[in-house]
Amino acid sequence: MQNEHQLTEAESLQIITEMIGKVKSHFHESGSGAILWGSVIGFCSLMSFLQLYFHFSIGFDIWILSLVAIIPQLFIVWNNRRKRTIETYSEAAMNAVWSTFAIVLFGLILYLNLIGNISKQLMLNEQQLLLMKNTQTGELKEIVPFVLSSNSLFLLIYAFPTLATGFIRKFKPMILGGILCMLCFVASLFLNTTFDFLLQSIAVIVSWLIPGLILRNRYVKQQMGNV
Amino acid sequence: MFKDLDPILHSQLRLAVISLLISVKEADFSFIKEKTNATAGNLSVQIQKLKEAGYVEVEKKFSNNYPLTTCKITPKGIEAFETYVKALQEYLNAGKS
Repeated sequence: MQNEHQLTEAESLQIITEMIGKVKSHFHESGSGAILWGSVIGFCSLMSFLQLYFHFSIGFDIWILSLVAIIPQLFIVWNNRRKRTIETYSEAAMNAVWSTFAIVLFGLILYLNLIGNISKQLMLNEQQLLLMKNTQTGELKEIVPFVLSSNSLFLLIYAFPTLATGFIRKFKPMILGGILCMLCFVASLFLNTTFDFLLQSIAVIVSWLIPGLILRNRYVKQQMGNV
Repeated sequence: MFKDLDPILHSQLRLAVISLLISVKEADFSFIKEKTNATAGNLSVQIQKLKEAGYVEVEKKFSNNYPLTTCKITPKGIEAFETYVKALQEYLNAGKS
């Protein structure tokens, strides 16, 4: 592009339109993160459902995989930053939304792991004990306080970043995925933990894995077009 | 009475750079070079002029041992661009009537 040419008003307008269009068409969301977490959480939820429904155990906590997945996630973040030549305002907003989600998710996991024993101790300090009665035998059993239908809470918070991403990016698959998370959340209130896992599996596959694959497909097409 | 078009922006390459930067938070020198099809030397000179006018911020750093120049539009640059577009609209509307 030369600089010395004296511009007319129409040419100025054309340059502005052309450059803004070039930024819009510079699509570089590879969908790797959505594919990774959609697969991992979807698989862990499905395995949890199968173990509970068919009464078998694989011998270890399948959710360890979600901790292991942090390693490829860190690589994805590092690789995206290395390859990135621009940062758009919507990307900055997305980063803020998903970082907030990760912090909230960590807080929820912490809460669910600690609240039972802490509550039990606090109740003991006030000379109280939580008991569960078997209505058939009349037997009373001491229990640790627990959060009812905790999987529903996960479905609820999965809906937040999914819907936010869908609305900000005007990306229909994620809007639909977010709506499905909300519907699964409501359904989970009426179902037991076993089926909550099944709902969780369906929700993350539809709201993260499938949109991630769609993004990946677009990204690959664009990369092939650039060659 | 028409407003004068900002001479800093009323140049093909500088206008192209600002038009790119208005829609992004920040962009690498290589991205701007690719989209404007400008030569590295010419682009450096024009970015320097935009920087001196206070319209862009330029950050130079190293990434994987390679120099990386990142450009970002400033609030003054956004204001100048908006004024430029308004003035342009006035000219074009006057041409129609």
